[in-house]
Amino acid sequence: MTKKKLAYHLQDIHHYYGNTKVLDINDLKIEKGSITGLIGPNGSGKSTLLKLLAFARKPTRGHIFYKGNLELPFSPTVRSKVTLLTQKPYLLKRTVFENIAYGLKIRKDKTHLKERVKKALLNVGLDYQKFAHRKWHELSGGEAQRVAMAARLILKPEVLLLDEPIASVDTESAELIRKASLKARDNWGATLVIASHDLQWLYSISDKQLSIFKGNIFSTGMENIITGPFVKSDEKTNKKNLVKKLDDGQIITLKAPAPKTCTAIIRKKNISIALEKQPDNGILNQLSGHIVSMLLEKQTEHIMAFISIHDLSFVLRLTSDQISSLDLYPGKKVVLQFSSNDVEWL
Amino acid sequence: MDFIVAGFIKAIELLLYGDSSTWTAVWATIKVSTGSMVLSIGAGLPCGFLLGYFDFKGKKHLRTILDTMLALPTVFIGLAVYAFISRQGPLGELGLLFTLTGIAIGQTILAFPIVTAITASTIENIDHDLKLTLVSLGAGRRHIIATCLWEVRFGILAGAVTAYGRVLTEVGISMMVGGNIKYHTRTITTAIALETNKGQFADGIALGLVLITIAFIVNLSLSFLRKQ
Repeated sequence: MTKKKLAYHLQDIHHYYGNTKVLDINDLKIEKGSITGLIGPNGSGKSTLLKLLAFARKPTRGHIFYKGNLELPFSPTVRSKVTLLTQKPYLLKRTVFENIAYGLKIRKDKTHLKERVKKALLNVGLDYQKFAHRKWHELSGGEAQRVAMAARLILKPEVLLLDEPIASVDTESAELIRKASLKARDNWGATLVIASHDLQWLYSISDKQLSIFKGNIFSTGMENIITGPFVKSDEKTNKKNLVKKLDDGQIITLKAPAPKTCTAIIRKKNISIALEKQPDNGILNQLSGHIVSMLLEKQTEHIMAFISIHDLSFVLRLTSDQISSLDLYPGKKVVLQFSSNDVEWL
Repeated sequence: MDFIVAGFIKAIELLLYGDSSTWTAVWATIKVSTGSMVLSIGAGLPCGFLLGYFDFKGKKHLRTILDTMLALPTVFIGLAVYAFISRQGPLGELGLLFTLTGIAIGQTILAFPIVTAITASTIENIDHDLKLTLVSLGAGRRHIIATCLWEVRFGILAGAVTAYGRVLTEVGISMMVGGNIKYHTRTITTAIALETNKGQFADGIALGLVLITIAFIVNLSLSFLRKQ
């Protein structure tokens, strides 16, 4: 990947709210014209990352390069090119038309304004005649979200950052937002970064997925996170190991962490799947569970399988051959195997 | 009870037939209150914005002082202004004592903390997503400030109306600084106080009706603007 093709390059980003560290990113590159999905639980740092990418906040430490240049909030280079749609979009206390035209007006770009607003509304599936003169409070949640999206699309931004764009909209609106986002990339080469809890929707739109947990980015997408409490192993031979006892009697044994860490990460590449437990060789964790859902990873045609083991959720990236040979489908009982050494602690 | 009813009837006659002393007091009130509101909004709006929008050292102390000023008794303001503009005072040479300008200065001091405090609170309570939205739509600092003020215009208007209500109904400043001079510095409130003391209830009620009508018109205008 050459430098010219990068939209963003984040280096040594550390961001704090008070004394709490909310982002810790060593190196993150986002390719120009790509659609990146951002996955992570609430409070993991997704919105903060999007705000930094939007140059709406300055990171406490670290550098953000945009198209190879170090940029800061309010820099004229990025101000009119990067736009963020927040989770709860704020509509100005004006009409839909005024809301959509706002960005163009402050750029003093008023040519064919009506036609452009009409087109922007059409892109998000709203009729100009019906909606243009409605006030901000006369819209439903989904309509408001689509108006906010239209207000960004009309600017034809180089970067479109979407924070939970379909969190409070119906299926039809979600599909319209998906199509409008893809159009932005296809029509003018926009780079998109989208945070969403709806994995199916996110996988259907994004080329690459990043997962974020406690401010740490995993460029390999979703990984398996096991939170504490853990207890010391009773086994004489494995005194240094920690175990997590599940309520259904199953036990996860993990190599002891550094002090003060309490969240374990098991990379999906280190987990194998089988249909039955194998004789215990003392290294493997063997956990029984059920496949709850499967998703197609559009770019690689791999299948993401989500497996529930009691109250824990695991994710695996499988090939279609693995799916066929094991005859896997949602609801099927499977066994996950991984070594107690293949653990990283956060 | 009869004297109240008779008072109401005479009040309507006074207003309808244009009694000069009644209408002079009405115009004096409108003039001083409008003048003081223009001054207090002109100074209070930017001060309130700065106080609400920016974080700086000493902000909390400034808010405490401002909140204390909200409770300033009008007679105290009247006394302070009197002391400054009376012949022996530092601004005695300007000849502002017993003038409408003198009353307007006192009423500006009364309204300024109200406009400033309400503007500051309104700005502080702006939705956090507004600024983020404006930044993400490409707004610069100038546009952010202008749009933020426009977005909270009703809150600021409500502050101005509250201040106007206080200015319109105060007696202390008008009495002490204006001197309640008939056809000159007599305002509605000082006239009501005087006429009631004299037993002229009809004049008092007539002026009271005008006062309530002005307050009603101002609130009606605000309500109309809000609907727009």
